[in-house]
Amino acid sequence: MNRLIIFLPLLILLMICFFVLMYLLSNKDPNKPPSALINKNVPIFISKSLYDSDYVIKSEDLKNKKVLINFFASWCIPCKVEHPLLFEISKSYPDVYLLGLNHKDKSNDAKNYLSQDGNPYDFVGVDSDGMIALEFGVFGLPETFLINENGKIVYKFMGPLTKEIIKNEIIPLL
Amino acid sequence: MSSLIGFASLVLAILFNAYLIFSNFFIKNNGKVFNLFIRTSSVLTIISFFSLMFAYVVSDFSNFNVFQNSHSEKPLIYKISGTWGNHEGSMLLWVSILSIYGLLFSFTKNIDLKFKQETLLIQSSIHILFGLFIIFTSNPFLINSVIVEEGLGLNPILQDPGLAVHPPILYAGYVGYSIVFSQAIASLLNHNKNKDWISVAKKWSLISWTFLTAGIALGSYWAYYELGWGGWWFWDPVENISLMPWIAGLALVHSLLMAKGEQLLKKWIIFLSILCFSLSIFGTFLVRSGILTSVHSFASDASRGLFILLIFFIITGFGFLIFLLKTPESSKPINFLFINKASALVINNILMIIATLTILLGTIYPIIVEVLTNDRISVGGPYFNSTVIPIMIPGFLLMSIAPILSWQTNKVRNARLYVLGFVVISFIVLIQSYFSTFNTWGVLGLILGIWIILASCISIISSSKINYDFKLLQKINPYIAHIGVGVAIIGITCSSVFKNEYELNINEGDKFQIENTMISLEKIEMTNEINFQALRANFLIEKNKKIVARIKAGKNYYPVSKMITTEAGIFHQWYRDIYFIVGDQKDNNWFVKVYINPFVSFIWVGVLIMVLSGFIGISKR
Amino acid sequence: MKSYLSYKIVFITIYFIFLSLEIFANTTLEEKVKKLTLELRCMTCQNQSIYDSEAEFSNDIKKIVRSKFKEGKSEKEIKQFLVERYGEYILFKPLLNYKNWFLWAFPFILLVFSLFFISYKIRKN
Repeated sequence: MNRLIIFLPLLILLMICFFVLMYLLSNKDPNKPPSALINKNVPIFISKSLYDSDYVIKSEDLKNKKVLINFFASWCIPCKVEHPLLFEISKSYPDVYLLGLNHKDKSNDAKNYLSQDGNPYDFVGVDSDGMIALEFGVFGLPETFLINENGKIVYKFMGPLTKEIIKNEIIPLL
Repeated sequence: MSSLIGFASLVLAILFNAYLIFSNFFIKNNGKVFNLFIRTSSVLTIISFFSLMFAYVVSDFSNFNVFQNSHSEKPLIYKISGTWGNHEGSMLLWVSILSIYGLLFSFTKNIDLKFKQETLLIQSSIHILFGLFIIFTSNPFLINSVIVEEGLGLNPILQDPGLAVHPPILYAGYVGYSIVFSQAIASLLNHNKNKDWISVAKKWSLISWTFLTAGIALGSYWAYYELGWGGWWFWDPVENISLMPWIAGLALVHSLLMAKGEQLLKKWIIFLSILCFSLSIFGTFLVRSGILTSVHSFASDASRGLFILLIFFIITGFGFLIFLLKTPESSKPINFLFINKASALVINNILMIIATLTILLGTIYPIIVEVLTNDRISVGGPYFNSTVIPIMIPGFLLMSIAPILSWQTNKVRNARLYVLGFVVISFIVLIQSYFSTFNTWGVLGLILGIWIILASCISIISSSKINYDFKLLQKINPYIAHIGVGVAIIGITCSSVFKNEYELNINEGDKFQIENTMISLEKIEMTNEINFQALRANFLIEKNKKIVARIKAGKNYYPVSKMITTEAGIFHQWYRDIYFIVGDQKDNNWFVKVYINPFVSFIWVGVLIMVLSGFIGISKR
Repeated sequence: MKSYLSYKIVFITIYFIFLSLEIFANTTLEEKVKKLTLELRCMTCQNQSIYDSEAEFSNDIKKIVRSKFKEGKSEKEIKQFLVERYGEYILFKPLLNYKNWFLWAFPFILLVFSLFFISYKIRKN
């Protein structure tokens, strides 16, 4: 019994080192928590179009197709960085429905931004009060979600997309 | 040039240590040669540190580290403190303090030579490990590949007097446990023949604990005025990391006390000695690897994390392995009665260790969960408040009666007096609380705090005779420390439970009243300082139509790093702090947040008393 | 021995008086919001609670928490709502579920274990 207790510190040490090592080697970013919505259904939302407020998109409209939802804003500098890459996706994968959600933005600013840098989206929805972003658990722009034909969220990325991320993470899922 | 000197002396210091350890396997060094080697290597490390500091002071931007973290326009004090305001420099400070401890210990007289040398050899091995870490992963002496005129500047949050004092003192605490660790291992290797190390360990563990206490309190105070949300403790991982060796060290100091009562818990003391230093290194690892998010800013890099993890594994593993192989045989059974000094100390030790382990688990639990389930959770303040505090409360209760317990018997001296005191205090606090805001924790904390102070005072009065000299001071020293704890408990309780806050939208010239105090926002001004722009709101505090104080609160903008820091304005009174924060301007009005923190100064005073008592304890022969 | 027992009795009675008193205290909306937001993490900050933070994200969540309380939702329901969207990471106080039971049980396991140890040692003496 006494012998066992003396082994305990070493055992605990080994366990701590094991877990910490695994964590270090898995290259996790402390500032980017994994999403709670992975493998869950798309949250229910309705969004008006940026260009025509009579025209709306609902979560039910996203069924039976692959959808890439991208939260963006004209005031968000990293969004500008990833913007050209969205064109590449829409060009090489025309089947993918690209839904842009304009987060907490003035509609004129957003329109100017999209006319200057181009509009890669199939639909631009407005999320002026951030309530849709709340449903998606978005807290920092840009954020990108990939939704499969069954309406399940299969992938989420925080921060500006990069070529590597698109190639290694998103394209395999398309 | 200074970079070269610094690097060369660090390498030489490591080589000296390596040679010393290597040669010790073959020839028996005599004491003089041995000491010469140890001291030379220590001095070389210190020279290395000062040459880095020199590079900072003269703004030598040919040094890459200086270029990245300094700026020629900075005031001198921040140039000096900038030396350890970054990862590389702070690791060099770590190793320098390690050397200073080795140097000081090499001057200790009247102890067994073999024990002393083995302690220093272990100390040297630790020095080599961390020295190699600096050279291979975080070298502060790299030469800048391009010639530049100006540096990139220091993180604005670190441009604060806090940086000048907090890290060196905190490190003096952390690293001090290295010598306690080395002594414990050396005494194990020596087959526990000498009893010297108990008295030696008592001194060094008290030194480390005192510095650690002061370091944590300084850090806490720094966070209090710098972070700007009125709190002083957030159960942040970085804080937990410092708290673990502190509690374990407290347990160590107390269990070393039991050696006085002829009841030696040698196994336990050695275990604690190893634990304290392990926790210190583990803390260094967690902070430096950047695997935790923290409100306190740190330079971190995951690749270095692996190296420190390895060092942590080697040192801790070695320590506990020796502990396993050379377990000291059980000493005399302790005189464990239902309620005597020995059992009170043992119970307190157990509670402290449970608290330490709970904090440890809470801090690393998110890592474990993420590895196992790929989900991320948070373990924050509410968890620690609802586990650690209830665990500590019986400990505080025991602490307050500990002075009246005896070593040998079950009898309690002056028991009636103490029971009466406790009951009276409880009722006074309870009645008082009816007339103010009622809160369970508040009442509990107040009763405990006041009672600890009172019980310690009664003990001092009943134990002292008329001759007031230094000896008496040493005799009543434990009670002094406990009074400090009581004062701190009152401060902690009041400032966290009875804190009030007011949110206002006001403009220049507006007046408002908060808890019997008239405060007016006189004016808002923008000024240009040497390396930042300052926005300051001037508050005028009046009481009974007399001007009591003028307080400035606001924000700084640092153009070099494009950062904004909050500069809280604090009006200190002995029984409360009025804490001002200025937010943004909206529709011509300024958002102002005012916190009333009752008795917050008691925390710092309490800690100060503990630190003073620590120094009295150290000076004891 | 006897005096120690009286300490205990006094302490325990007083403690229970406190506990019973606090149950009767009714809390206002702002107090409820404060209590809950103190237990929530500001996702855009570095380890700061939503209550303490003035970040945009925190202000949004504060608004939502306030409106949910007004709708009559309980603290538990609001937490559930947020966890579904942001994950358990947003809670500073971990939920009591299969992942975290060890975290919550650990201090009590240690306490019970050491209680046995102490009583064993005392009986031996």
